Amino acid sequence: MNTKLSLRWTIIGCCGLIITLTTGCARWIELKPAADSSQEPSVRVIARAEQVPLVMDSVGITRNGSPQNLSPETEQRVLGTLREIGLFSHLGSTDSAEPPANEKFIRARLLLNEAIDPHPGNAAWKGFVIGASMFILTPFIPLEYDYAAHVTLELERWDGQVKHYESQSSGTAHYQLFGATSLMIDELKGHVMESCLTALMQQMVYDTTFYAASSAPVLERPIRSVSVKSKRSTLTPVSISTSSGK
Amino acid sequence: MTTAGVHAASGSPRITVGTQEVSLTAGYLLPNRLKHYPTKQEGPAFMPSWMITLTDPINDSWYRGQVSLGAEMVYIQFREPFDTHGVGFTPKIKYTFVALDRIRPYAEFAGGPFWTDLAGKIPEQSSQFNFILTAGFGVSYFLTDRAALNAGYRFHHISNAHTSTPNVGLNSSLPFAGFSFYF
Repeated sequence: MNTKLSLRWTIIGCCGLIITLTTGCARWIELKPAADSSQEPSVRVIARAEQVPLVMDSVGITRNGSPQNLSPETEQRVLGTLREIGLFSHLGSTDSAEPPANEKFIRARLLLNEAIDPHPGNAAWKGFVIGASMFILTPFIPLEYDYAAHVTLELERWDGQVKHYESQSSGTAHYQLFGATSLMIDELKGHVMESCLTALMQQMVYDTTFYAASSAPVLERPIRSVSVKSKRSTLTPVSISTSSGK
Repeated sequence: MTTAGVHAASGSPRITVGTQEVSLTAGYLLPNRLKHYPTKQEGPAFMPSWMITLTDPINDSWYRGQVSLGAEMVYIQFREPFDTHGVGFTPKIKYTFVALDRIRPYAEFAGGPFWTDLAGKIPEQSSQFNFILTAGFGVSYFLTDRAALNAGYRFHHISNAHTSTPNVGLNSSLPFAGFSFYF
């Protein structure tokens, strides 16, 4: 009788453990797309002879309002996306040399404003409850990590004319304790960034003719816009999605 | 945009949400004897553990730190007063202070079921099924951005939550050392 009883409890225990481990590993990403990402993909045509090079002039990154070190990955990702749309003949990073002043080229300035909310208080409290329950409550207590990005791309034509493009997107990673990995956060940031860049490129493609070589002559005395901006005043508050539904 | 869970860009590891830690810790249990009770339990203890980082660093002051949650197995080989054993499983929560780069003090708390055949042979405890509560502090020194040496002190309390009598409890000190691997 006792053997039967202990066998039954062993089976129940094993089932409980398997359910806890499998359902406790769930995770999903809820993405709030960029405001104008629903637009139909735009197609414009530019002759190869009309293409000019683009050189990245500066990349600025702020996180929750604080300036951050330059991230080469961010720059490379933006350049990669610009390469994909095929608007420019050649793309140069911030490290590459600028073409001579009497040549036609575009200068690009990128500002990425990130807002991160890992809900630390919630996570600590929920973690305490999960631990106190011997991990039994793991499947029932989801954790959240919010990430939002606001990207501003400023393109300056060889004659000094400047165009601004902006986009923003946000997302939330929902996860159970056993599903948490740092890759999950990278995935969330990757999706949000992709959404922002897609929206930016859609805006840029509308201005294809603005970047064509024949759109403006090379000035005899080339000019360059010079400005000093207050970093704080240019920061745009980025809202973070806090909805808990999928 | 890709960032690994553990970074060493500024010379110090940056552990982010989701970074996991596997540790092996060993120490020697020493008795904190209660008045009128004779048992001086002591012996080596081994504590493998797993933890996951729940938060990015919180706050900007000296107490800036991160919360981790995990589980630990504790095995104690009692050599005194009898050659016996104890094994337990404890959920564990840890707060790590991150303001000092590679040197990271932490405070930890754990509690869970504990079985030992020492009970029944001593006047303080009668049942083999007990609970173990642990509170302690330590310091991690990061040798690399993924590996750290740990050393510290823990206070252990073993009792059966009055599920049987007597239940005086066994209190112990446990100085320990070990290493952690982060991924």
